[in-house]
Amino acid sequence: MTSPSTGASGNSDSITIVSLFPTLLGTYGDGGNVLALRHRAQARGIGVDVVLVEPGDAVPRSADIYVMGGGEDTAQVAAARGLRAEGGLAAAVESGAALLAICAGYQLIGSEFPDARGVPSQGLELLDVTTTRLPQRAVGELAADPSESALAGLGDLPRMTGYENHAGATHVGPGAQPLGRVLSGVGNGDGTEGAWSGHVIGTYLHGPALARNPWIADRLLSWATGTELAPLAEREVDELRAERFRTVLGD
Amino acid sequence: MIIGGKVIERLAPDALAELAGGRIAAVVSATNGKTTTTKLLATAVGATGPVVSQPTAANMTDGVLMALAAGDPDGQAVLEVDEAYLPLLYDDLHPRVLLLGNLSRDQLDRMNEVAMVARKWHDMIDRAAPGTTVVANADDPTIVWAARDAEPVVWVAAGQAWTSDSSVCLDCGALLARPDTGWECTGCDLRRPQPAWELDYAAAPGASGVSEVRSTARRLGDGAEFDLSQMRLPGRFNASNAALALACCEVLGLDLDESASRMSEVESVSGRFAIVDVGGLRVRLLLAKNPAGWSELFDIMPPAPAPVIVAVNSNPADGRDPSWLWDVPFEHLAGRVVIATGDRRRDLAVRLLHGDVEHVVVENPYAIGAALPEGTREQPAVDVAATYTQFHSLRTRAAAELEDRR
Repeated sequence: MTSPSTGASGNSDSITIVSLFPTLLGTYGDGGNVLALRHRAQARGIGVDVVLVEPGDAVPRSADIYVMGGGEDTAQVAAARGLRAEGGLAAAVESGAALLAICAGYQLIGSEFPDARGVPSQGLELLDVTTTRLPQRAVGELAADPSESALAGLGDLPRMTGYENHAGATHVGPGAQPLGRVLSGVGNGDGTEGAWSGHVIGTYLHGPALARNPWIADRLLSWATGTELAPLAEREVDELRAERFRTVLGD
Repeated sequence: MIIGGKVIERLAPDALAELAGGRIAAVVSATNGKTTTTKLLATAVGATGPVVSQPTAANMTDGVLMALAAGDPDGQAVLEVDEAYLPLLYDDLHPRVLLLGNLSRDQLDRMNEVAMVARKWHDMIDRAAPGTTVVANADDPTIVWAARDAEPVVWVAAGQAWTSDSSVCLDCGALLARPDTGWECTGCDLRRPQPAWELDYAAAPGASGVSEVRSTARRLGDGAEFDLSQMRLPGRFNASNAALALACCEVLGLDLDESASRMSEVESVSGRFAIVDVGGLRVRLLLAKNPAGWSELFDIMPPAPAPVIVAVNSNPADGRDPSWLWDVPFEHLAGRVVIATGDRRRDLAVRLLHGDVEHVVVENPYAIGAALPEGTREQPAVDVAATYTQFHSLRTRAAAELEDRR
């Protein structure tokens, strides 16, 4: 997936996307989020370097967007431990890089999440959320409207669509805001879905999230480039979203 | 399905053990290739007398019960069992051979995650009564981890094309390395066991675009070789299924030359690879239900620019969540036009858009006069790679139309 370098580091026409532990945290098609970012960047003439980081590799500290997917419980604990010890991701987020984390990734960037046996495990504390176990696994389509804070802080996001498959009840603390309000599905388990703060976004949406919700991809790209991007509508995406909302919400 | 099986169990809790009654020659389980491998093995076992097997690939509790109840009471049984149901049925079936082919992500909404299935298999083997020989794929680390304590076990180096679900050691969590000699854990002692059998497979493009296949199953103990080059079923994965089945044949005491030759004659299994007419189109049916299965199909499709149909549903039997499409390297289809169809054709179109693969979305490509890309109808048969329920509806439809024409 690594594409050839498009220029010297610091070139404003090119951004670097880091895919964190794609083999550990890539069980549910979340690798597609990187494809969506690259696709939408290239459509605007922005060059993209993708760096795949596996456990044991150094995490680049000066990349623009970091992406983490969902995975199995043991992989999640291993990933949290590795990233915490390495420290590069926290340093990058501290200096303003964008981070998108999905499902198990979302849980592990919080302060605490349950391991395979349900025992609390320490997270990376990059987003003020804590996760415990849902009484019953949440599996199915998830639809949510953006929360008021997301509309105010992330721009005019439309309705969100995805698929959830998790057992986490996630509580959003005072240092973060919910990303959405659940219309169908479970999400965080309290009527909200996902969370965001600064340039960090966490969500339970698979699908992948950015392919089914390209506005979130554009938000991450805007943060990375420091510019607002020209709108980009694609027929395939519009048709998929319309069909999903018809099927899931009946509208 | 789960409820049905439970009801039967409650009404006659010993039904399965009684029907099995010590006549189970082999049980086959895997994420991919269960049905084909079962057919290959049943065909070989057929040399010695009647064989009981599932006619329709129904491989959960009900399907297994039905096959045993309806089949020849004197026949030996060769059965496929769903990977999640295997631990529930295994003790009652008590087969002479258990064939374990591969494990990878599939129907994550219904099935457990891969590691969880492996753990259940391991515990099942651990507590099982003696008398079963496990024949297992040495090239799949998840299979090896699940079967490592089996006694006796016959390891077959049958290959593994899809490695993304076995990148981490299930024992210690460290990454697995894949040197030329197989695979090994970078953190503990888990590594590919010494195989008793290996598959040697090579396909080279020959005259007229048809690839020439050299395929041999080799018994490493004495170097005996069994030719699988004449197999009618295409692709490396079917040779791999046959190599595993052949190792089972040895455990069952069958003549191996005869077994290889009988397996080579198997042409189509429950419609897989069958060429049929559907509506206005002649198609070859390919079952493509998960990333690992897909990764084996690219090689057997005709070269670009031949258009192919990809048909995706998300009914329960397909998996309700089609985001696995993003794990399939559809970029391999670049250079041709993909016809996207099925209930989830729009998900597929978005995936193809992101892979820079040219595509058209067609609700019913089989309709007479459907607008299809140039070159589609010129092919002798158009490949349709379909998820489970798409595959079965096409198969049923083709059979019904054939009946009508008679």
